[in-house]
Amino acid sequence: MDTQKFATADLHLIDTDRINDSPGPYGMSFGFELKPLVRSIKTVGLLNVPVLIEDGEGAKTVISGYRRIQAVKSLKWDNMPCRVLQKSEFSPLECLLLNLHENLATRNLNNVEKGMVLSHLNSYLPLNEIMKDYMPLLDLPSNEEKFDLFLKIEKELDENIKIYLARGHISLQGVRMLLDMDPASRLSVFGLISNLKFNINQQIQLINYLIDISHITKASVIELLKDQPLENIRLNDNLNTPQKAKAVLRLLRTRRFPSLTEAEKTFNKMVSKLDLPERVRIDPPLFFESPDYRLEILFKEGKELREKIGRLFKMDGIEEIGNPWERGA
Amino acid sequence: MKDLKIKKVIVEKGVSGQEFAQQILRRLPDIPVQTIKENESKAVHDIQNMGKEILHLLPYKGEFLKPCPGTREYICCGYQILNVATNCPLDCSYCILQSYFNQPYLKTFVNLEQGVEQVLKIIDSNPDLVFRIGTGEFTDSLAIDPITRWSDWLLPLFSKRKNAVLELKTKTDNIRGLLTSKFRDRIIVSWSLNSPFIAVREEHRAASLKKRLEAARQCQSEGFVVGFHFDPLIPHPKWKEEYTKTLELLDKYIDPKGIIWISLGSLRFMPGLKPIIRRRHPDTCVLDGEFIMGLDGKMRYFKPIRMELYSYMRKNLEKWHPDPGLYLCMESHDVWQKSMGWSPETSNGLKRYLDRRVVEIFG
Repeated sequence: MDTQKFATADLHLIDTDRINDSPGPYGMSFGFELKPLVRSIKTVGLLNVPVLIEDGEGAKTVISGYRRIQAVKSLKWDNMPCRVLQKSEFSPLECLLLNLHENLATRNLNNVEKGMVLSHLNSYLPLNEIMKDYMPLLDLPSNEEKFDLFLKIEKELDENIKIYLARGHISLQGVRMLLDMDPASRLSVFGLISNLKFNINQQIQLINYLIDISHITKASVIELLKDQPLENIRLNDNLNTPQKAKAVLRLLRTRRFPSLTEAEKTFNKMVSKLDLPERVRIDPPLFFESPDYRLEILFKEGKELREKIGRLFKMDGIEEIGNPWERGA
Repeated sequence: MKDLKIKKVIVEKGVSGQEFAQQILRRLPDIPVQTIKENESKAVHDIQNMGKEILHLLPYKGEFLKPCPGTREYICCGYQILNVATNCPLDCSYCILQSYFNQPYLKTFVNLEQGVEQVLKIIDSNPDLVFRIGTGEFTDSLAIDPITRWSDWLLPLFSKRKNAVLELKTKTDNIRGLLTSKFRDRIIVSWSLNSPFIAVREEHRAASLKKRLEAARQCQSEGFVVGFHFDPLIPHPKWKEEYTKTLELLDKYIDPKGIIWISLGSLRFMPGLKPIIRRRHPDTCVLDGEFIMGLDGKMRYFKPIRMELYSYMRKNLEKWHPDPGLYLCMESHDVWQKSMGWSPETSNGLKRYLDRRVVEIFG
């Protein structure tokens, strides 16, 4: 690439309405916040000029500076200085690399933008070259599976999910799981995620439960989401949004793990029948997998400890504590 | 086993001259051969096929003999793996080897002769230890034996050792190589079994249960000691009736007196395997169970479900024969105690129990 050619390209004052409004074939900006840039340009002016390319008929396509152009347009400037390249002198790949390197030097690309970059590169370069030279530049592991995921993000993901991803409100893992669903199910699940504002861990749990239950019951994800008990939670005015999200997960967990949740219920019943002193608790092992149960006694001084141990020692029914499936409630 | 089709052989430069590699190439006269440099083999993205029709001949650089990757949280049998190959032409939906889809192809280690020599030195220099060695951990022991003829190499070497046994674990009926060998002593041929429901639905390309058991009967009648592995046990609709069908087949074909051991294990897997199974086998039922995170970080069934599986199998197997050499694979002391009625307590305890079985059967 002739790097001098870019630097020596002519500077022109271009009418803003003659600059194509779309991000164009080299665009890699998504989900950005325009206000800080508008404020900066309004206060100190346009410090770095955008780069455009002109075809033979006068149309101007953005190579770099798309966000600056949007900011200037929102300030209603009639024209703005731009560096203009001639289409005959620069290949599309050179234009794309110009924008890519400019972006990489100044900011971190979000995951949607990385998908855009890989998708653009895919039009011009063989896969092995993209994996070897460009995925590391994007801080991505050089493997085909990741490449495919990011291409799908660009090509198949709905706009609203892209916005969620760009803002970091959904993880890459969550997106990957949504992409494995059919488009209608994906949108329904995303609707629930965004309505009830599930956090990132809850999103993974939710998607996992829905996929598993759908396989087990042979009901579609959409049918599961229309289930009455779930609908009742969504419509329950006594619960706030985080409470609703937790209640949905509890409901689905009970359906996904009937034996485990039954054991937990039985165990809790078993413990609640005991008249445990205050600040004393008995917990089962995680998933009842380890054989060891746990007794926790909080106390302020030895006298209180002795008294609590004494009460526990004499407590009826304490010997019944153990695996709930062996003892019953 | 359903037809094994090798479409291509990849040979790493420098190994084609090795006798073992040459023998394999002679057995595949019409198959295209590609020679590559060391480590040139690329990860393929064919997650569906995983290069199961491509044989990759290469040297193994690590230790040929490795302890089974047990974990200290559960009781392990102390089995040792002779690493002759990795990956498998069978395509069981629950297989752990799917995690390695970025290292595709049927990788066969052609420096086996030198590797086994080292292993035999270790065996011979520890005459007081019993070595239970198997080739069926990272591949099926017999699935590509018609091409590799590992049996020709390994049987004579292990038959001579008085402190070792070689277990060949399979889901195939590829026993011709074994039967043509004159060596029987210290060799165990074992079959992985499951319910007919799971075998048909989930063990793609494996031999039918009937064929596996016919092969086992033939091996038994030809003087081989046999073993069985009900691993992974998978609860599914009507699982009791379904596993009973397999036990009835076992009774029909096999004399329980000649069995060295029968292991029971329930499905367990690293969490990362789940999305791979979902993508490779969208209609599978193996992920339907109630899996919890085990103490070793692997997903396994909720404890009472495992105990019910083991208790049921134990009750029925002990009806068949009072001492079929039952043991649990990677289970805890309390699960042993409650479902088997006794526990070896530690991995060493289980090792001693299985070593005793070896001595009782082979002397």
